[in-house]
Amino acid sequence: MKTLLANGPSNLYATEMEQFGRLAGHWATRITYYPTDGSPARHVSGEWEFGYALEGRAVLDVWRWPGREELLASGRAPDQECGLCVRIWDPRLQLWRFTFHGTAHGDLVHMYARQIDDEIVMERAAGGDLVRWTFTDITAAAFHWRNERSTDGGHTWRLDQEADARRREATQEPG
Amino acid sequence: MTAAVELIAAPWNLGLRPPAPGREPGTWRAPQALLSAGLEARLRPARTVELDRPPYDFDPQPATRIRNGVTIREQTLRLGEAVRAALAASRFPVVLGGDCSILLGCLLGARSQGRCGLVHLDGHSDFRHPGNYDPGSTLGSVAGMDLALATGRGELLLTHWPEVGRPLVADEDVIQIGDREHEEIPPVTRFTAQEIQQIGIARLGERVISRLEQRGLDRVWLHLDLDVLDERVLPAVDSPGRPGLDFSQLSELVSTLAGTGRVAGLDVAVYDPELDPDGAYAAPIVDCLASALAPLATMEATRA
Repeated sequence: MKTLLANGPSNLYATEMEQFGRLAGHWATRITYYPTDGSPARHVSGEWEFGYALEGRAVLDVWRWPGREELLASGRAPDQECGLCVRIWDPRLQLWRFTFHGTAHGDLVHMYARQIDDEIVMERAAGGDLVRWTFTDITAAAFHWRNERSTDGGHTWRLDQEADARRREATQEPG
Repeated sequence: MTAAVELIAAPWNLGLRPPAPGREPGTWRAPQALLSAGLEARLRPARTVELDRPPYDFDPQPATRIRNGVTIREQTLRLGEAVRAALAASRFPVVLGGDCSILLGCLLGARSQGRCGLVHLDGHSDFRHPGNYDPGSTLGSVAGMDLALATGRGELLLTHWPEVGRPLVADEDVIQIGDREHEEIPPVTRFTAQEIQQIGIARLGERVISRLEQRGLDRVWLHLDLDVLDERVLPAVDSPGRPGLDFSQLSELVSTLAGTGRVAGLDVAVYDPELDPDGAYAAPIVDCLASALAPLATMEATRA
């Protein structure tokens, strides 16, 4: 599968590709879940790797938890996630088309995304709700991600999940 | 008025629900019906641009609860570019729909030249958004949501746009004219069909112009959903009703507004030739538009 990954963005939409492409590399994450039943928030470590793909026309990422420090010697359990995200800039829509393919629970999620001011906002309609995944506070060394849901058409949002990401040093990346 | 007309045909029906299972709404036929009824000869446009007819999808599209939402975004960008090009050529775009979803592309194109208000002539407020109905139970139809979407309410897919961002138009820069509804009132300046019956077209025109002056709006887009007409005058629309304007009142109002020089362009929506099997209504619609826009039809200087 040497044709899957790419070293950099395509010249076709280089400016747009950079929106997600700047996240290329390995990140350690601290993921927090906020249960809807009011029970206490729970935390888990994770890893997130981004990179260009498909001759630089797509940005992929792999979302995993737990992180390597908390991973048991026996390996990742079947219900622990190792999922693939695919992002392709669609010039006809002037939006990113996004899909998440989860291996733990068979999740398949479609979303649309745009950079809005300093954030990258991804959104999908799920039944009567709107779900947003937002990348924010993006620097070379860190970013924040949050997963929110609105049941009133976007007037108010409930935080379901968030992640703080810190870039790993190159020497920390798995071989 | 200083610009010649450019006609832009937007033959689509994407924002309407199917009138029967497996049957597409017929508004996509309206541009050709109006052109065949002599609109081109009457308005003498500098140019006529005909956009392609997009495919109508009966099934939900991915990650949206808006009927044909993805296709409407693509068509909105195309129509926006057509309107932008017409304005850049110093022409007066007249967009022939189609259903009310064409409004988004019209505003997007108009915004390419800066702030632009909206005069929304419509027998309905078209203000449905996920905050006032349950999109989980039914797909939303943009023809009933266009004012909500234009003012930034609803899915990102149809509320965030290149260059402009969100919204296409601020609530304060919208004037809604002619709706007969009592629920989900949009927070905009509004003249209902019943109020228009009481005050008449002349006073309505004065009040609209006064509001434009108050807001400092030198440019507005004029959206003309033909269901603002009384159903006894024009029944060949998706959701006819009464009371409403007659053709002469509509012509007088459009003429008054266009005469201010503040109208950047207009769109005409929701005439359905399939609900007009004898073709009886295309001619009066053409007469109405031609009469209202007569000063533009005499413009020769900027023709290509």
